[in-house]
Amino acid sequence: MTETLGARSLLGLAERTVSFGKQYGADEVEATVSDGREFSVDVRRGTIENLIEAGSRYLSFRVIKDGKTAHASSSDLQDETLHRLVRNAVSRAALGSHDECSGLPPLSSEKVDIPSLLLFDPEVAYLQTVQKIGLALETERIALEDKRITNSHGASFITNEVTTVLASSNGFVGSYDQTFCSLSVGLQAGETDERVEDYWVSVDRFFKNLESPETVARKAVARTVRQLKPRKVRTQTVPVIFEPGMTDWLVGFLFACVSASAVYRKTTFLAGRLGERVGNENITIIDDGLMPGRLGSRPYDSEGVPCRKTTVFERGVLRRFLCNTYAGRKLGLPTTGNADGTGVGPNNFYLLPGAATPQEIIASTERGLILTRTIGHGLNPVTGDLSRGAFGLWVEGGEIAFPVSEVTIAGNLEQILSQVEVVGNDLDFRAPVCGPTLKVAALTVAGE
Amino acid sequence: MIAFEDHFEMAEVEMRRLLELALSRGGDFAEIYSEYRVYSFINMEEDIIKETAESISLGLGVRVISGEKTGYGYTNDLSPESIKSAALTAAAIADSGKTASLPAFRKAPPSEDRYPLIQPAHQASLQDKIELVRRAYLSCQKVDSKIKTVKVLFQDQAQYVSVINSEGWAALDARPLVKLLCTAVAEKEKRKEIGFSGGGGRVGLEYFEQILTPEQIGREAAGEALLLLEAVEAPAGEMPVILAPGHAGVLVHEAVGHLLEADFNRKKTSIFWDKLGKKVGSPLLTIYDDPTLPSFRGSYNIDDEGTPPSKALLIDRGVVHSFLQDKLSARLMGRPLTGHARRQDYSCIPIPRMSNTYVDRGQDDPEDIVKSIAKGIYAEKFEGGQVEDSGTFTFSISAGYLIEEGRLTAPIKQATLIGTNIDILQKIERVGNDLSFGLQTGSCGKEGQEVPVTDGCPTIKISRMTVGGQS
Repeated sequence: MTETLGARSLLGLAERTVSFGKQYGADEVEATVSDGREFSVDVRRGTIENLIEAGSRYLSFRVIKDGKTAHASSSDLQDETLHRLVRNAVSRAALGSHDECSGLPPLSSEKVDIPSLLLFDPEVAYLQTVQKIGLALETERIALEDKRITNSHGASFITNEVTTVLASSNGFVGSYDQTFCSLSVGLQAGETDERVEDYWVSVDRFFKNLESPETVARKAVARTVRQLKPRKVRTQTVPVIFEPGMTDWLVGFLFACVSASAVYRKTTFLAGRLGERVGNENITIIDDGLMPGRLGSRPYDSEGVPCRKTTVFERGVLRRFLCNTYAGRKLGLPTTGNADGTGVGPNNFYLLPGAATPQEIIASTERGLILTRTIGHGLNPVTGDLSRGAFGLWVEGGEIAFPVSEVTIAGNLEQILSQVEVVGNDLDFRAPVCGPTLKVAALTVAGE
Repeated sequence: MIAFEDHFEMAEVEMRRLLELALSRGGDFAEIYSEYRVYSFINMEEDIIKETAESISLGLGVRVISGEKTGYGYTNDLSPESIKSAALTAAAIADSGKTASLPAFRKAPPSEDRYPLIQPAHQASLQDKIELVRRAYLSCQKVDSKIKTVKVLFQDQAQYVSVINSEGWAALDARPLVKLLCTAVAEKEKRKEIGFSGGGGRVGLEYFEQILTPEQIGREAAGEALLLLEAVEAPAGEMPVILAPGHAGVLVHEAVGHLLEADFNRKKTSIFWDKLGKKVGSPLLTIYDDPTLPSFRGSYNIDDEGTPPSKALLIDRGVVHSFLQDKLSARLMGRPLTGHARRQDYSCIPIPRMSNTYVDRGQDDPEDIVKSIAKGIYAEKFEGGQVEDSGTFTFSISAGYLIEEGRLTAPIKQATLIGTNIDILQKIERVGNDLSFGLQTGSCGKEGQEVPVTDGCPTIKISRMTVGGQS
């Protein structure tokens, strides 16, 4: 506990790690430091429940020697610990296996203009604690004014400020700042033995773009009370309308299946299928790391490769797998700027919206289920099979008839993508992986 | 037991000063949680050791409770200024003007050692661990030529925890944790299926010679993937379901365990909040949560508030008997501590959690239970589950069988079970005499915090349940 970082720069720490690595005999070294400030307040029934404030710093790095890789990370950043970790990593690499695909990417000459990405809101750092607590209290207070709401899981306001620094032995040095804030509330309606629950959260990089306490409360209330007095339905195959949050979930499953990490391991049903038709004309899916202000945007990936826009599905045809350097080399494909830690991650990965409004989609449905929430696991990328507990709203004659609970939906991702009849116009980028309302022609809904 | 390592070297007098600082705004209770954790990881796939990693986590969290409010500050920068700042952050939750005087510190007596081990994994050589990984890998691969992809993960960690609080209580724990996990993908024509198996716990490397060998783990993963190649679509609709002994304990964990965590009941969001002492399920059903089971993944010598844990009787022959408590909920509810406060790491506030949760054995012969069903599902293995406070839960079957005329017939593909807990608890018709536990590899997530757990059960018959298959 003698020497700490103090004012020494994060960049200095990353660069020193790289030079230690070279000093101990590594061929290549890549070091990332992230430095974050977190604030979080939970309120419930009008009083503060938890208030957390903290700063933390974290280093992770990899060394490559003779085509063999070793990783390490630490929240203990004293020089003595770093020397030991780097030395261990170099000797550990020697015990690994030679892998011709390992190694850092070549240094790119492209540069992304970081300020134009709008990743950082200076206002977040200046928010007063009372103001942040006030937002959470106000949100819950408005929600509880509705007499149908019988209990509260509480409301939360959270902010994060993160600086990420990357230095590599290939000469890359970079740093960028990001902010995130969120306002949420979780509610229950109904008496003890017939409770229903849901929540709403607004997340944005910019405080001014966050939904107001009134909007968050109103949406959470509406989502909760619409489930009161649910019915079971008979087991049947019907059209299923996915609300945007549910499309997010489906698109997230699809991401796991187009990740080159899964492809080279053959743990996805899409392995070996580039250029083939997997979905119908309505399915165009994009990964884009360069959209200003979006949650999944970043100037470069965790290997320092500049982010870009990649069309993954074009009108139903699988065009690209998303790669980091390693998985790309395994498949003989270029990296797409999707490196995320030791694996592959999405930037802004979204389903291109269509023209129909959600109301038009519902009105076009004679009989079917609007899927509003799912719970559980039940996703298998190897087969594309999915099966989950579901909640929803039953549609009769183009109108919402009653809420449905205790059903499950089951199907196969490829079948679902081939049967998307309509895609809605309501894409709002609430999450890095997202999509608008969509309607699938037929899915098995299991009930009574 | 592994020897405790102190990476904080804070003298008692410094701890005392820090606690006083944390209470300087008038808090009721203050606590310092210090944690040092070393973690190592090996991954073998495509016939090579693809990844090795070492990770160190060092940090400290200061918590202050004032009435029902909790203030928390944490840091991994152990400079006196940063630690002081964490204490002041936590202190600010209170505003009572009350002054505190700290009693003398009492050290928690050394508990019965729940982690008896010979060869601590964190001190073993990387070569020895790689050898375990290779053995599992090769034995899985050679089961059948249809096994096309194998992946083996080995993880071990040593977690050193120190808790000291303003009640004058000081306690230490040094927790080992090991896991070896094998995943196999089998292929036949165009079809691919995935199987997995694994083992570990708070054990040393001798476990892999004496209890469960890497070869057994590899063969089991292969066997499951091969079996699923022959699986048929699960039926959809309501039908009788048998939960196989062991893995099906996840149903108990999801459907009952979470809703008996005290925080949800104190806040009345759990449907059990008004049911203490009331009958909620079949008289055949008794459920325990026991953090004291030696070597189990979910066990500990002290919980993350320093409380020595005890075996908790949750459901006694169908009647709600108690909740899983942490200090805050126990005080607010006027109930005794059970030692179930856990946290993922120093950046988290402790909350009531499960450890090793299981349904007690019953009277029935498991074979008789299967014979009692003409058409239904035998749910053998699960990927996981989820529950809402309102009692709706699901869990996903990753391996199981059809039951036809009292016999297990075709294996079934992935399916989901859904229900509400009180309904299902009342529909428990038979409980077998064959209690066993699932894999020693699982974790449970709550409010963003992951902690290691296990669960178990005997063979259980549920008279009707909604099964979500495709056919």
